[in-house]
Amino acid sequence: MKTHPGEKGTGTFIRQRVTGALNIVFVGFLIWLVVNLAGADRAQMAATFANPIVAILALVLIGSALVHMRIGMYEIIEDYVHEPKLHGLAKTANTTFTVIIGAIALVSVLVLAFGG
Amino acid sequence: MAELVLDKRSRPKAGKTWPKPEGATNLREYQVYRYDPDTQENPRIDTYFVDLDDCGPMILDGLLWIKNNIDPTLTLRRSCREGICGSCAMNIDGANTLACTKGMDEVSKGAVKVYPLPHMPVVKDLVPDLSTFYEQHKSVQPWLQTKSPTPDTEWLQSREDRAKLDGLYECILCACCSTSCPSYWWNGEKYLGPAVLLQAYRWLIDSRDEATSERLDDLEDPFKLYRCHTIMNCAKVCPKGLNPAKAIAEIKKMMIERKVA
Repeated sequence: MKTHPGEKGTGTFIRQRVTGALNIVFVGFLIWLVVNLAGADRAQMAATFANPIVAILALVLIGSALVHMRIGMYEIIEDYVHEPKLHGLAKTANTTFTVIIGAIALVSVLVLAFGG
Repeated sequence: MAELVLDKRSRPKAGKTWPKPEGATNLREYQVYRYDPDTQENPRIDTYFVDLDDCGPMILDGLLWIKNNIDPTLTLRRSCREGICGSCAMNIDGANTLACTKGMDEVSKGAVKVYPLPHMPVVKDLVPDLSTFYEQHKSVQPWLQTKSPTPDTEWLQSREDRAKLDGLYECILCACCSTSCPSYWWNGEKYLGPAVLLQAYRWLIDSRDEATSERLDDLEDPFKLYRCHTIMNCAKVCPKGLNPAKAIAEIKKMMIERKVA
């Protein structure tokens, strides 16, 4: 297939839709998790996340939600922030924020899953 | 940032209220946007009173009555007066439409408010500068492109393939849809807008056209196509009842099919 410099238009669109659909599905899992862990102490939470299915689903949800969030903010920046310096800064801040939140969430899940 | 408010020099001010026509009893008030680039003045909203007993029923009739009987300097485009040419597209009562097919009785009570198509440079009064819009239309190469040898007679098309052009070929390029689209307001230089994308799809889906891949290549860009956020103003205001948002969605489907195939 012919490649094109601006091909990320369709790629971004596909990622946005796929993660959007995934998020709808995973909201059910998130609700189940929150309800299950309501009032739980750290040991109970660790026990829940020690289940590899829960940990993996949590990581997939975090990944999907963060990718979707970053694309959403990217779209807003592309739409409304036109001044070149501010545009670049906003896009960098968007990516940085996503990476930081993702790292914190990843470490948190792994600590609960493995560290207890 | 995107310009969310008009700058001071573009904000309309209260204008002149023209005298009511003598002896007329059946009047309709018009509030019309006026702007003259030859002066340094802000745009203004002039008020006129149209004698409905001496005037046709459409908004365009009222505007032409004003021009002929009250204020010959009022500037607007018009030609066919029957919804074919798209010249008299303007913002009436808060929505883009054709002045020639919009009846005065369709406008809610009170004054008929008439502005030029929104978020476009104004040449004068109700005449917007559509140069960029026309350039964008030209950019999608809106003509049949073939690689096969030209047939002796015409390029044939089945009835089914011809039917795919229904809802597309009727577009009159009035720009009502594009200028009602917030995405086009904020990124009108880079986003092609609903009217042009509907035209692009009209050629993409034409069974006789053999440049589909090149046409899709040209639209593969974060801005030209993907600034459409399915706001649907385009379908709501189209005076021909077309649905540019659906055409854009079909282009996106073609893009995805091509990418994942």
